[in-house]
Amino acid sequence: MIIRYLLRRLFLLSFVFVAATCFTFSLNYFYPGDLLTNFSGIQQIDDAQRQTLAASMGLEQSVVQQYILYVQRLVAGNWGLSFATQQPVIGEVQTVLPATLELAAYALLVSLVIGIPLGLLAAIKHESWFERTVSTLSSIGYSLPVFWWALLLIMLFSLHWGLLPTSGRLSVLYEIPQVTGFMLLDILLAPVPYQTEALRDAIRHLALPTLILATYPTTVMIRFVRDSMLEVLAQNYVKTARAKGLSRSQVLYHHGLRNALLPVTHQVGLQFSTLITLAMMTEVIFSWPGIGQWLISSIYQRNFTAIQAGVLVISSVVVAVNMFTEILHTLLNPLARKDA
Amino acid sequence: MQLLDIRNLSLELATPEGLICAVDRVNLLIREGEVRGLVGESGSGKSLIAKAIMGVLNNRWHVKADRFSWNGQDLLRLPYEEQRRIISRDVAMIYQEPSRSMDPTAPVGEQIMESIPDHVIQGVSWWQRGYFRKARAKALLHKVGIKDHLTVWNSYPYQLSEGICQKISIAMAIAKDPKLLIADEPTTALESTTQAQLFRLLASLNQLKGMSILLISHELETVARITDTISVLYCGQLVEAGETATLLKRPRHPYTDALIKSVPEFQPDLAFKQQLYALPGSIPTLQHLPIGCRLGPRCPNARRECVRTPQLEKQQNHYFSCHFPLNRSDDE
Repeated sequence: MIIRYLLRRLFLLSFVFVAATCFTFSLNYFYPGDLLTNFSGIQQIDDAQRQTLAASMGLEQSVVQQYILYVQRLVAGNWGLSFATQQPVIGEVQTVLPATLELAAYALLVSLVIGIPLGLLAAIKHESWFERTVSTLSSIGYSLPVFWWALLLIMLFSLHWGLLPTSGRLSVLYEIPQVTGFMLLDILLAPVPYQTEALRDAIRHLALPTLILATYPTTVMIRFVRDSMLEVLAQNYVKTARAKGLSRSQVLYHHGLRNALLPVTHQVGLQFSTLITLAMMTEVIFSWPGIGQWLISSIYQRNFTAIQAGVLVISSVVVAVNMFTEILHTLLNPLARKDA
Repeated sequence: MQLLDIRNLSLELATPEGLICAVDRVNLLIREGEVRGLVGESGSGKSLIAKAIMGVLNNRWHVKADRFSWNGQDLLRLPYEEQRRIISRDVAMIYQEPSRSMDPTAPVGEQIMESIPDHVIQGVSWWQRGYFRKARAKALLHKVGIKDHLTVWNSYPYQLSEGICQKISIAMAIAKDPKLLIADEPTTALESTTQAQLFRLLASLNQLKGMSILLISHELETVARITDTISVLYCGQLVEAGETATLLKRPRHPYTDALIKSVPEFQPDLAFKQQLYALPGSIPTLQHLPIGCRLGPRCPNARRECVRTPQLEKQQNHYFSCHFPLNRSDDE
């Protein structure tokens, strides 16, 4: 049954990818300029090159044929050259994507680590000053615009107190070879004498963007977990468990926690797209060399191949994470398996 | 020996419009080994009383009682935790919607094992406790008539039928050998064959183990079949209580009388397609309760005196609260 479910999900996933590639493929026709340039990213094309390129992209054949060739190129890793740098786009994506994923992952981690306990406590201490404080703070955090909040914290922590750097991932003093693209991991893997210093510096660079990016998902998590727990506590089975003679903590631990926290997996998937959008803004503010900043600057430069690649990669990541959390939720939650 | 003796239990709900008295000074008396029925329309406060006994009402309810004695011990004098300890040791409850009273994300076996209290496995060495609990849980399943315990054990509540769920919740309820089992409309979600099985099970628990049962239902005919005594509620007021046979034969309160007359099974000489007897009007909402006897506006015998709440009168073991009781001539 599980296998069937997974196959069905993957089948659905393939449709999403077909739709995304169809979209990016058609973009090439809508962009201004030469079709061949849009596809390949090569700015100056001489006649001989034009012949071979047109043949390899099947420009004389039907659109369907062209699309198939396009997908084949994508799969083979030939995503064209960047308009701006004349370097392969896929190489640039490989450098910028991990930076975003790293930032988003830490923000997500922070939101889970802070949001879940606070939400649970708020629900358990229902109608107390603690709950009211947490609710108020989470309402404020929920409605703070990220760019304003970021500027505020930069002013405070970087300019006023001079505690944290304002931009970048790592001070230029340290040179760390890229292996995984995840800075902390790379530093740990790098055979350099200044490992601890570099690590400390990277964490100082990470702190502010992570904090700012985590604000929104944390508040969402607090509200979600609190509501979920309150709902569970009002259920009949909690009353039954109390009537069985279990103590309050036993009821909370055995019945409350699991039922309240299972939907959180699903919630993480739903929040991920918002998180990526916010990550883009945070990256621009902190000059974080991630895919968001890269994509936005590509849009300014009308770097069509890069825009295509960015759209494709971000949508794939979001859809894949969504799918992954949904599958995880189904595996963990017997109630979700009921409908699977 | 009186097991449970409640005097003047009032349950008030705090609403924005003020306190609403949903249950008004109800007495309830259960002897050891007795099966008592608690009958009333939906909304008459039957389930509220049961929940109040179990102590699982949420804190919007104000519970008051003049006496709440359990097994000769006055619980009102004890601290809250002690009350809960005694009640959860001795009283168990099964609910109307069994599948909703089970944790939806925990396998059934785990839930049954959890409901076996620690004092049952006292004296068992700790490395054998898990095994012992499991064996006992299986025995419980067999006792309530589930033969195929292996399938049930690893199932989640949604995978089982309501009938099986109700049997499991009975198994969980009797796991601690309670002195009193409160069954809150245990058969509403079930088919009639399962209903019959369930009543047989309850009756055998009562006869073999001497377990007292408080059976809450709105169906007088099913309650009449297996109970020794019946209490009738209307709108949160106790209208009549007494031994089942006498109460059915000679009801003293007009509401009980109407209730009996509305059941075709109690009317052997009912003609074909004849209208069943029913009181005019319908049960009032909680916001618009009449003062005095709450049946007043619907009562065929109501007079001016009925705006005062009648005192509970006692004749032998028969209690009723009416200014103008029926069947008076037989006594006097």
